[in-house]
Order: sequence, then structure tokens, then C-alpha cells
Amino acid sequence: MEVKLKVLRYDPESGKEPEYRRYTVDMPESATVLDSLIEVREFHDGTLSLRCSCRSAICGSCAMRINGRARLACKTQVSSVAEDGEEIVVEPAGNMPTIKDLVVDMAPFWDKIRAVKPWLQPSGPPPEREYLAPPQAMIELAEVMNCIMCGACVSDCTVLEVDKSFLAPAALAKAWRFVHDPRDGNTAARLRELSEPSGIWDCTRCNFCVQVCPKDVKPMDQIMKLRAEATAIGITNNAGSRHTFAFTSTVKEGGRLNEFQMLPRTHGLLNIAANLAELPGGIRMIRAGKMPSPFTHKIPGAAHVKRIFKRFEHAKV
Amino acid sequence: MAVYQHDVLIIGAGLAGMRAAIAAQLEGADVAIISKVHPVRSHSNAAQGGINAALGEDDSWEEHAFDTVKGSDYLGDQDAIEVLCREAGPALIELERMGVIFHREESGRLGSRSFGGASKARTYFVGDITGQAILHVLYEQLIKHGLRVYEEWFVTDLIVEDAVCKGAVAMEIRTGNVHVIAAKSTIIATGGLGRMYEPSTNALICTGDGISLAYRIGAPIIDMEMVQFHPTTLKGSGVLITEGARSEGGYLLNSEGERFMSKYAPNMMELASRDVVSRAEQTEINEGRGVDGCVLLDLRHLGEERVRERLWQIREIGIDFAGVDLVKEPIPVRPGVHYIMGGVKTDIDGKTPLEGLYAAGEAACVSVHGANRLGANSLLDTVVFGRRSGVATAERARSVMGWTPPSDRYAEETKRKLQAFLDRPLNGDRVAKIRLDMGNMMSELVGVFRTEEQLRLAVERMKDIRARYEKVGVENKGKVFNTDLLFAIELGFMIDCAEMTCVSAVARKESRGAHYRTDFPQRDDANFLKHIACTYSPEGPQLSEMPVTITRWQPQERKY
Amino acid sequence: MKYAFWPGCVSKGACPELYTSMVRTSAALGIELVELYDGNCTGAGVISEHSMETADALNARNFALAQRLGLPLINICSTCQGVQSMAQQRLKKNAKLAAEINQTLSDEGLYYDAQKGLEVKNFLWVLVEDFGLDRLKSMIKRPLHGISAGPFYGCYILRPESILGFDEFPERDTYLEQVIEAVGCKLITYEGQDKCCGFPILTINKKNSLTMAANHLSEAQKEGADFLVTPCPLCHLNLDAQQPDAAKYATVDGLQVPILHLPQLIGLALGIDPKELRVDRHVVSTNKVLSKLTATPVHA
Repeated sequence: MEVKLKVLRYDPESGKEPEYRRYTVDMPESATVLDSLIEVREFHDGTLSLRCSCRSAICGSCAMRINGRARLACKTQVSSVAEDGEEIVVEPAGNMPTIKDLVVDMAPFWDKIRAVKPWLQPSGPPPEREYLAPPQAMIELAEVMNCIMCGACVSDCTVLEVDKSFLAPAALAKAWRFVHDPRDGNTAARLRELSEPSGIWDCTRCNFCVQVCPKDVKPMDQIMKLRAEATAIGITNNAGSRHTFAFTSTVKEGGRLNEFQMLPRTHGLLNIAANLAELPGGIRMIRAGKMPSPFTHKIPGAAHVKRIFKRFEHAKV
Repeated sequence: MAVYQHDVLIIGAGLAGMRAAIAAQLEGADVAIISKVHPVRSHSNAAQGGINAALGEDDSWEEHAFDTVKGSDYLGDQDAIEVLCREAGPALIELERMGVIFHREESGRLGSRSFGGASKARTYFVGDITGQAILHVLYEQLIKHGLRVYEEWFVTDLIVEDAVCKGAVAMEIRTGNVHVIAAKSTIIATGGLGRMYEPSTNALICTGDGISLAYRIGAPIIDMEMVQFHPTTLKGSGVLITEGARSEGGYLLNSEGERFMSKYAPNMMELASRDVVSRAEQTEINEGRGVDGCVLLDLRHLGEERVRERLWQIREIGIDFAGVDLVKEPIPVRPGVHYIMGGVKTDIDGKTPLEGLYAAGEAACVSVHGANRLGANSLLDTVVFGRRSGVATAERARSVMGWTPPSDRYAEETKRKLQAFLDRPLNGDRVAKIRLDMGNMMSELVGVFRTEEQLRLAVERMKDIRARYEKVGVENKGKVFNTDLLFAIELGFMIDCAEMTCVSAVARKESRGAHYRTDFPQRDDANFLKHIACTYSPEGPQLSEMPVTITRWQPQERKY
Repeated sequence: MKYAFWPGCVSKGACPELYTSMVRTSAALGIELVELYDGNCTGAGVISEHSMETADALNARNFALAQRLGLPLINICSTCQGVQSMAQQRLKKNAKLAAEINQTLSDEGLYYDAQKGLEVKNFLWVLVEDFGLDRLKSMIKRPLHGISAGPFYGCYILRPESILGFDEFPERDTYLEQVIEAVGCKLITYEGQDKCCGFPILTINKKNSLTMAANHLSEAQKEGADFLVTPCPLCHLNLDAQQPDAAKYATVDGLQVPILHLPQLIGLALGIDPKELRVDRHVVSTNKVLSKLTATPVHA
């Protein structure tokens, strides 16, 4: 099978801007994008640099953008991205500076992993033998332990794109791994730190990390669990948590969202400065005929909705 | 004066390297790790099935040791095996306390599975990602302890002065700059060399660097003929399918749908030791009962639930790399190169006969695996002897007197050598082509079944390979992330290793463990109950013999 | 064609023009909407941060209301679509959860059959998959030639693909482009069209939120889009209502990109009076679009 690749090349020593170079290689039907890139590197153009090692989606070296989306090159069959022999566009992973060709500088990635203090911090002296732990807890942790730190989620994180300080999906998923570990004794402190700016509440829930993760770690889902845990233990003095509460309480009262009440409830009624800052926006909306009613609009079944909250709000099924 | 200087320099950041680093630092030494890849990219990741320890109430370290001795076909050094198995329990508990999410019983205690060649269920695991789960936890510990890592630095040479190893010369891959890193002790923890075969379960980074580096400065390398073929590697890519698949109850079937292991190992069946199962499969395939050069691994009867809980990764591998969902269909597998039992000769503290040089993990040969390694003993080997070598090197840092660091001229020598490589004209041959030819040749001539004629031919072929290597040029002349140059150097390491494997295999005129000679099908304890050692000479490896240590288990016939 | 219609909270609140245009456009298309007046908020992915079980129960209630009508559900919000699809999947997988929820729902005589499930489709999906773009084209009275339009999807209608029916409908990430071309616009594509508008963090990290909006709007403007069209009112809020504030983070001067709701775009092409579609009820003036529109002949 003929595989056509269009690879973004960059050599800092050349003084030139990045540019695409095209390659055509002959590969077996089952070839992956990585196989094809290796074929290029080994037999066509030895100047092409990329990281790769295990070829089986376990070492996390070969995350890169393939047709615009972060993927592991080794796990991406050519046939899945170029069904009819189309050209495959290969670029370095996003949100990280390029060192050369497809090799990116992952130092910012590792800095954030370090920032969540990613090691088990048990409290008290260790037991005589192993820690006892429910089997289910360990199985649940396996989902995040599946993370191979490839950086695909970071590459395509939309928050990171606008704010380099965001802890980003991989580190936060890693943080969940310790928050949820029954052996860890530092849960509250971890959650407090994670609730700070640049942490869990800065995620915009765009689902890109869930979509691109090659190991199904679902980083965003872990971030949402961290939000719930933090809120549950009373770490609520932040805009994110207040937003969730405000949203939830208006629905609880009327069955539907009341946007008018969202802002003051999120900022806190007494946070006059923040509320005033919203005024121009509010005036604009009134002028456009878009201002939501300040009154709670109740749906007919509002009482039933309230009952649902009462029944499930604190239930775990 | 070298800019970089440490008490202990560890080359390689897999399980052995990281475990050694943590131990040496806890003992008060100034430690650094140097690794050509980021630590979590290391090949320890690929260990799937588990790690052995006789923790069960019905089990004992002695039984584990006996299984290991028997598995090794009596070539393992029994003093070392005793250490391995005695320290297994504490080593495992320690990993658990560091945070590894080992599988649990309902009681909350650690749960185990049975592995090949083991008389008890003593393999502890995290689904089928055990190596990854441990590697990442050790990396967490590295962060916790603030250990220095020279990340993506590539060691090109070891420094030896007055028969003492004094550190390494390394190239910073990102800049191409070359540095001397001086160290009172250097630990080789670079892992295996599977890439000298084609195909192989090993990652592209497994190029025998440390074994060759040690060899080049005169350290003896032993048991290099003992190459393990894993019975279940995936058709095509050769990716590993864990032994855990069989320990969870998977069957091996031939083209007639027969569980053929009943002919070869009626008691242990699919869970006989790896050499036995690999030979059985190869025999079936050779005698025409294979399916497209493979046999079938059938897991359908395990059910989706169990697969989801314990074998999720290999299911994904089957789907991604062979288009087969093992819940619905049997997967085609065949024996494939997986592990080198041999390596840099060390004592039970990782010390090599060369002062200042230590080794641990797959690159080392203590020897605990002898002629055949049992599944899930390799992870154990890395943490037990990684820790011991860390402790030993820290001790050396405290006790060594009058140590002077090497001069920077070694960096200059290396730079000249690298430049010479870059200056060579391109002659149409390619590093990748030479490696591929060597890999195919090794698979064909130094495989599961071997003969004198094949092995001698392999020795001859290696001469051609080396001659081509000495003339080959590299296309990339740049300094930044020049992987082209890296591969060229790695190929040199692999050629050293392959030569050692070939000549050692010729010398061992018997069948033992993974080394099966169809012209000498019997084990010959009278003549070959010994290690074959290679030492460097400009003409090629020089062979000598080293005794096998027998403590309490006299050699007997090996049956499964 | 008849659907149980879930308008979502925002079309009844901050984006009333969406509700009005949806009702008007559907009528013109001959799509009958039976509104779920008693439907409740889907939770928008926010209530689930607080309690996943509550969010699932709330969604099950809406599904039960639709199932009682025996009709598939149509929504006009990418966020609702994503949340509803996820809830369906969880309810289907977790029989115990579904049973407990149904026990609570039974108090008001409702029951959601999670195994049978319910077809839940955004108006965009309905247009392409159920209604058909050829049929749409045949009904166009005012082709929007000479106007350049860019798509803006909203995250939840695109990701994660595994729960959004991409196995069956792999082209769901190209529908907006298809619709834009079907109504005669010139299609403008740009990098940010499938990214996040920033709305979910507007009150949490305003700078990040507005920078996201600004980036996408700037790109679209640079590529020459006269307007963007979105099937998500939350995206509309951030891209339209916040656009004056986002302008300070823009990478172009004079940021001015009108944002149309999907039903407004379709309505315009069907020849409906822009006023009826409430196209004037936006923060960013749509006059630029409308002026080009008047230049386009209306086919009788």
C-alpha cells in the first residue's frame, strides 16, 4: 500500500521556519503511521527526528498530531486515517514547544506532573505487611494508572492554549489517582491545592482530552470527580464551586436554569465589584432584548424535580 | 575537571535503575541517573503479567527458589537465586507501600495468579500493566526524592582509568553536546538487547548499550547464548501478549484445534516454563500444524468481564495490532525474542569484576535466570538487585579512598569519534538496513532450535555485518536531536552483543533451557554445567568459563 | 415529522430569539414540535459535577416525558445533546441506577425504559439525517449566495465521539459545513471551529474564557467569515453577548462577527422575514449579513 505523508519539519539549526515535506512510502496494509514514519526515517530521510520506542502504545513516546488531532502514531493504523490513500498530515504535538521536527519539549508537562505532588502520602506508620485496600478501589484506580504520560491530552487541551499556567488534564488525572487512593492520607490538602486558580475549576469541559486519550483515561471525567470531592468536603470558597452551587440551586428551585441569578450567586451577592463588572454585559443584553427574567421560572413539575434532588443529591448508586 | 560529578551514576532509568537510585540516595550518596529516554518511556513498561514473591501462607521462598533453579535448567547461580527469592516478599511489600495498585482479594489483601514454571500462585499483578504500574510509581518516588536525572542523554563510552571505571561520556541529545560525567561508581541498568533480533517484543530502545559499554572496557559478559523466546508474541508486529493470558486460563491450540501442550508438558500444560512452551509451539508449526506460521491463543472461555478486569491491555493490543478481539476470536501467536538471560557478570551486590562498575536488571547477569527465566521473575530481579547495587555503590562512595575524577579529554575523544562517523561518506548502505539484515539473520540462524552449522554460519555473517558497519555513514549531520547518529552508535552496541551471542552459542554443545541444539539435544552437566564468559579483544569476544554456584539443589531431570 | 421538543433553559432565558426562530423555522420545514413544557434542565454537565446520580435522574425524567409521547426527542443545544447522550449511556449500562431512578419517577407516573432507549437528536442532526439536505435545498427560497459563513459546533455535539453515535454517523463533525453549503453560503473554515467557546468558565476565569472566544472569532474574521452559525446557545452567549469584552483579547482590529443560531440561518434561507427570526436580537449586529441578504433575490 502506498502511504503518503505530509510531515511538518523544523530544524532549529537551519534558521528556517517550519515547513511541510512530503514522503511516499510503500507499506503493508496493516501498517501504522509510526511504521510509515520509521520507514521514512530509516530508508528515505535520516534527518527526520521523532520519539518512539515500544510500538505498542505503552511507552507514550510517539504522541503527535495526525490529521490535526493528537494521537499515538504507533496506535494509529494508516487505514483508519487515510481510508482511500489520502495524504496524512503529521505535525508535532500542540501546546509544547518544538525541539526538532516531531520532537517537542515536554518539560512544561513534567513540571505540572511534579506540581501535583504525585506520590503516595500515607498517614501514620505503615502496616506490618501491605496496606489493606478494597479490590474495587484498585480497579477504579487502574483507569487512571493506564495513563502513559504521552501528552496527547495536553497537546489538544483548549484551556492550555490560552493559559500556560493551567495544570492541564494529565496532571489532574494523576492527582485524582492519589485523591482516590484509600491508602493516601493527604486528600484534603491535595484537594485544597487543586481548587486554587489554574487547577480543577479552570477546566472548560471541552472533552478534547477524553477524545484524544489513547488509553481511555478520560482525564476530564477525573477532573469532574475532583470537583465533586472538593465540594463534598467543603472546599467551596471559590468561583468554580459557587458556580456549580448557583447553577444547581436554581434548577433545584424551579426545574430550569435561571441565568439572571447565576452571576451574583457565583461571585457572591456581596462581591459588589465583581457584580458591577458584569453590568456593561447585562446592559448590552437588555438592549438586545435578551435579558433573562430575574424571577425563578418554575416548570409545572418543579416539585418533582426537587424530590429528585432530595433523593439523589447525596446518593451513590 | 569534569563539570558533572557524582558518587553514583546510574545508566538507565527503568525499574532497576530507578530502584538503585532511590536506594543509593537513601544511603546518603549523591546520585544521578542518565537515560537516553525519559524514565517512564523505559522498557520496564512492557512487562505485563506480574512480579513473583512467595508471600502466600502455603508458599515459601525455598519453593520459589527451587522453581527458579529448575526453570533456569540448573544454570542459575543458587546463592543469587536464594537472595532473589528471600528478598522478594519485602521488595514487593515495599512497592505496595510506595503506591503500586496491586490486585486485591476481597479481603483487601494482595491477590496473586499462577505463572509458568511456578508450583504456587505467587505472581502479584496490576491487570496486565504491572510493569507500567511499577515503573510509574518508581518515577513518582524519584520525584519525591528529588533525584537528578540527565534525561535524554545518551552514553557513548564508559571511562576506565587504571582498571577502575570512573563514569561515562554522554551526548546530550537535545544539543549534541558531549560531556564527561565522573562517578565513583557506575551502575549499568540499560536493559536488554532484543533489537538485535527481528522481530522482537522489545522496544526500539533495547539495543544492548550497557552490555556492550561494559564489554568494551573489559568487564566479563556471561550466558549470552541464553536468549529467551516468549511463547506468545503477536503475529505480525511481534508485540508481547502476556503470560498472564495463559495464567488466567488461556489455551494454546494448533490448526487441528488440539491443546497440544498435553503432548509436551502434560502436568503444567500451557504453564510450563517458557522455553518448553516456545519449543512446543515451534514444533507444531514446523510439523505443519500451525496456522499461518502461528498457533492460536484462545481466551474466549474467560468471558468479557474477566478480560476487562485483568487483561484489558492485551485485548486492546489484539484489536489495534492484529484486528482480533480476543473475547470473540483466538489470537494468532508465535515464539518471539523477548529477553536476554545473560549480561554483565555481577555478584549478588551488582558488583562486576571491574572496580567501580556495577550492573542490575536485564543488562546484568547475577545469574538468577540461568538458561531460562521464569515469567514475573524479571521485575523481581530489577527491584531486588537494583536496590542491592544502590546500597553497594553508596557504601563504595563512603569507603573509597584517593579517588580522582577523570579528565575532560574523554569527552574530546568521543567528540572526535562521533565526528569521524559524521564525516564518513554515504556509501548507499544504511544503518537500518544493516540492523535489519542482522536481525533477520539472528532469527533465522540463532533461534529456538539451533545447530552447529547454523551457528557457525551466523558467526561468519556477523563478520560481514561488522565490516559493513565500519563503512556505513549517517545522513543527518546536525547536532539537535540527531537520532540518525544515535542509531548508528546503537547498532555498534548490538553488533557486539550479537557476536557474543553467536560465539557463545557455538561453544555450548548441549541443550539447556532456551539454548536448544538439535545436534546436541541432551543437557550435558558433565561438560556444560558452567557459564560461558566473553571478554573483549580487538579480534572479537574471547571465551572463558565460570563455575555455576550450587548450594542445595543438585541438578536433576527437568519435567513439567 | 414529529418530535418531542426540548428547548433547553437558555432558549427560554437569555436567548429567546433561538426559541422563536426554532418554532418559526420548524413550522416552515413542516417539522412538528411537541414541546416538553414540563421538561427540566439537563444539568449542562454542571449538576453532574455536584451529583452524577441527580443529573442522570433529571435527564431520565425528560426522556420519560418524551417516551410517554412516543416521540423521538429534538434539542437545540449542543450541550444538551452531549449531556443527554452521556446520561443515556450511563442509564443503559447501570440497570440498578435506572431502576432506582424509575422508582422515584413513578411518583409522577413516569417511567424511562433505558434498554429501549430514546432517539435524542440536535436540530442539526435532524436536518441532515432525518430531514435531508436535498429536501432542504429544494425548499430554499432565498439562497444565501455571496455570504461567507463559518461553523461553530460547541464541544458536546462533537466529543467524545464514542457516546455521540459517530459509529453510525461518522460525518457528524461535518454537518455544519454541509448545511452552510446547502443554504448557498460560501463556507469558511478555521482552526477553532470545533474548539471550546469558553462559556463554561466565563464566571470562573473570565480572561481565559474571553480569550478563547476572541481567538476563534479573530480567526474566523481573518478567514473572511461574514458570520458564524452555531447549534449551541451557550456558545452563542459567549461568542455574541461577550464579544465586545472579548474584543480586547482579539488578534484582529475591529472584531465584529455576527453569530446566528442554526434555525435562524435555515429560516433566512427559507425566505422567512429576518424580524420573525429575531435576528435583530443579538448583541453583535447582524446588519452586515442582512444587508447582503437583501441583495439576494427571493425566489417565489
